[in-house]
Amino acid sequence: MSGDMIGGFLKIRNLRKSFGGNQVINDFSLDVTERRLQCLVGPNGAGKTTTIDLISGRQKPDSGHIWLRGDDITGLGEHEIARRGVGRKFQIPAVLKGLSVRENLEVAFSRETSALRNMFRLRAPGCDEKLAEVARTVRLTGRLDTEAGLLSHGETQWLEIGMVLMQDPEILLLDEPVAGMTENEIELTVEILNRLKKTHTIILVEHDMNFVRKIADIVTVLHMGALLAQGSLEDIEKDERVRAVYLGTEDAH
Amino acid sequence: MANALILGISIASIFLVAAIGLTIIYGTAGVINMAHGEFIMLGAYATYAMQTYFGLPYFLCIPCAFVIVGAIGFVIEKLLIQYLYHRPLDTLLATWGVSLVLIQGTRLTFGSDPKYIQMPGFLSSNIELGGVSLAAFRIFVILAALALIALVWFVFYKTDFGIKVRAVTQNREMAAAFGINSKQVYSFTFAFGAGLAGVAGALFGVLNIVLPTMGTGYVVQAFLIVVTGGGALMGSAIASIATGEMQSIFAMLLNDSFARFLIFILIVVFLRFRPQGLISAGGSRR
Amino acid sequence: MLDNPYHNKTLQWLAYAAVFLLIGIVPLLTDDDFLLNQLATYGVYGLLAVSISLCWGSGGILNLGQGIAFGLGAYGMAMTMQMQSQAPGTIPPFMANNALETLPIFWEPFWNTGLGIALALLVPTLFYLIFGGLMFVARVSGPFFAIMTLAILSALATVFVALQPYTNGVNGISPPTGLVIAGTKIDPYSSTAYWLVFALLLICTFTAKLLTQSRFGLVVRALKDDPERVRFLGYNVAVYETLVYALSGLMAAAAGASFAVLTQYVSPAQFEVGFSISAVIWAAIGGRGSLLWAMLGAFTVQGAQSYAGDAFLNTWILILGFSFILVVRFLPGGFAGLAELLLGRLASLRGGRREEFGQAPAKGAAK
Repeated sequence: MSGDMIGGFLKIRNLRKSFGGNQVINDFSLDVTERRLQCLVGPNGAGKTTTIDLISGRQKPDSGHIWLRGDDITGLGEHEIARRGVGRKFQIPAVLKGLSVRENLEVAFSRETSALRNMFRLRAPGCDEKLAEVARTVRLTGRLDTEAGLLSHGETQWLEIGMVLMQDPEILLLDEPVAGMTENEIELTVEILNRLKKTHTIILVEHDMNFVRKIADIVTVLHMGALLAQGSLEDIEKDERVRAVYLGTEDAH
Repeated sequence: MANALILGISIASIFLVAAIGLTIIYGTAGVINMAHGEFIMLGAYATYAMQTYFGLPYFLCIPCAFVIVGAIGFVIEKLLIQYLYHRPLDTLLATWGVSLVLIQGTRLTFGSDPKYIQMPGFLSSNIELGGVSLAAFRIFVILAALALIALVWFVFYKTDFGIKVRAVTQNREMAAAFGINSKQVYSFTFAFGAGLAGVAGALFGVLNIVLPTMGTGYVVQAFLIVVTGGGALMGSAIASIATGEMQSIFAMLLNDSFARFLIFILIVVFLRFRPQGLISAGGSRR
Repeated sequence: MLDNPYHNKTLQWLAYAAVFLLIGIVPLLTDDDFLLNQLATYGVYGLLAVSISLCWGSGGILNLGQGIAFGLGAYGMAMTMQMQSQAPGTIPPFMANNALETLPIFWEPFWNTGLGIALALLVPTLFYLIFGGLMFVARVSGPFFAIMTLAILSALATVFVALQPYTNGVNGISPPTGLVIAGTKIDPYSSTAYWLVFALLLICTFTAKLLTQSRFGLVVRALKDDPERVRFLGYNVAVYETLVYALSGLMAAAAGASFAVLTQYVSPAQFEVGFSISAVIWAAIGGRGSLLWAMLGAFTVQGAQSYAGDAFLNTWILILGFSFILVVRFLPGGFAGLAELLLGRLASLRGGRREEFGQAPAKGAAK
């Protein structure tokens, strides 16, 4: 693949993070290739969301490093990491409930982040076109003037996906983007993601293996905060260790 | 220097007595009660009224102040605060409105001339302590501060009510699943905190003259203690001692006003590096 | 969605223009200089309310210590005016009374009127930048921030009282003559003073309004909802918070400076907690979410208060307290919220059936 870079696009080495003596991420390393959709799976408490938190800067690792295109981004602030092209969608959809759908998308169009320069701008160049396109993609064109707090759950999920699209990051971190969606809504999301992964790098946390099957290029299995296995979905499904880990939790579900 | 340290303990005890009710209300219910100073003021007036109109001895007035102000707090919680738990900034504003009303109501009832509370004779003497002469009443306040901490600790850790309060603070839904009525718990917590402010008023009414506006000075000070302490009982105690001692030492070196100013600046800088305060009262309240 | 005229940007600007037109023609209707002075003072209070609304209404940053900037601005202006009346080499009489022999060094710049006025505006703004920066970088926000502003305010009050020889303590500074700018003396009891305050109020309000509609304003309104989310979009939230706070401080400082010009007097009363919180009450009753309504709130409350008279004052404070509680409990949007509700009802009554066709115009800046 021409897009491949030596050492990977996003490189994680020996990451550790503990909360109150509880080792949540334990010597975790990962390489993410450009323009691939990589799914992070694993039982509850495996450290999937924490991994996303560490990459996006919400948490600072105790030790270890994260490189994005060769730049060390370990321990940078959330906004600095975001400016380097990392976009994130939260597990519990985080949209700005008091603003309209349009305003949510406008804020997310964050090419210019300087507060001083933004004081002298009533609108951002190119925002309207992008907004129309994204609104069509996430099917919210008719809801642009609705207050985001009034959206249905599925619409809220899409709005947040739309916000990440407006932000147009190089790498998207999506934490359970289809949670609570109906079958139809999931289908549409699959469509969006499959289109998106041709141009973007995506890391996606997911429980639902059916959904993973439809989108994943690479599947990474986390267990107890460390990498257990990685490969195509077929490889993973054959993997004995993964089965051992999953059998217990799958039943308990 | 020893003088300053002993005086510092006395100041610390006053800070703590002022802040203890607020700590409970903030630490458990998350309510920013701007009327706290006025609860203190009401405690002083309750003491004054009990003493003057009913001739009650001072020591009996203290529990009376607790009950009266606690009851007022309960009513205010039922009428107003309980609707605002999810809007912390609005609680702050609404309780500030309450404080306006309480000050003005008191002024209209008792007039704006100062009132005085009589203390028992044996507390009006001075006591020699390590070469420092300290008013006996100030020693009494120090003892009262210790007693109040013990009381709060007992209520929160040894009684059924305390277990319920802590359960609700930890996890409201879970507590509800165990049949704990969190609304009721909040009401009584608020009343308890208000009652403690009433006790503070009974003490401060002796230290200072009793005026409708006497509470306003306490609320900011008490809040700084609570914020610095992090909302936990022990946090408030430590913060009181630290700021009390600093106040005393700085005041010796500079003067009272600059000491206060310096402490406020230090607290701002402290919060810059430890926004959660000394001892975080569980959960992410901010 | 129905089209609520309250959210229509064009109508909003028209409303602003109409209100300012009304305020602007007042001096043409009266010759009563005392009344003009009083109304100009309300204008200053209105500006203070606008400054609170800018910070609190759009950014959700409640500042209970706006008196910090107001007071510092007022002191800066009063010091400038004091030095204007001072013969070179002399010191203000109160300093002499306090056994000072030479002018304290921090008074020196106030010999120069331009520099003095600049300091009156910039010192408070810088103070806000530093204090706000410290707090917002540490992510102190909401009620905590409000309490800290209150603490700083009361600390400043103590210091200004304690610095008796330099500030004349509780007595404050009362410059003997009015401000002289470019050779013209501004008589506080004149239409000139009224126009000056009017122009300032106009400029500040319209600038603030434009600011809320800019990209900056959009980010500020977004971070009121969820600062965490906004960070992940790449915005440095602390910078936005600090700037909006400092700008509101600059406006409050301008209000304070005008106050000193109008009253020829400044004292630590401007640092009193009660005064700062009154300003919050004006904004809350008028409507924190709207600059214009916050200003009208100041006019209404202060106007009612002065016409209530001294005899009625006790009851008035009681009424004020109760109405404040009621507004917070039942009408968090204040009069503005009520206007929004009524206009919305009206629109749905009239246009109920046209709902299907056409998209409603932008919800807009909701101001």
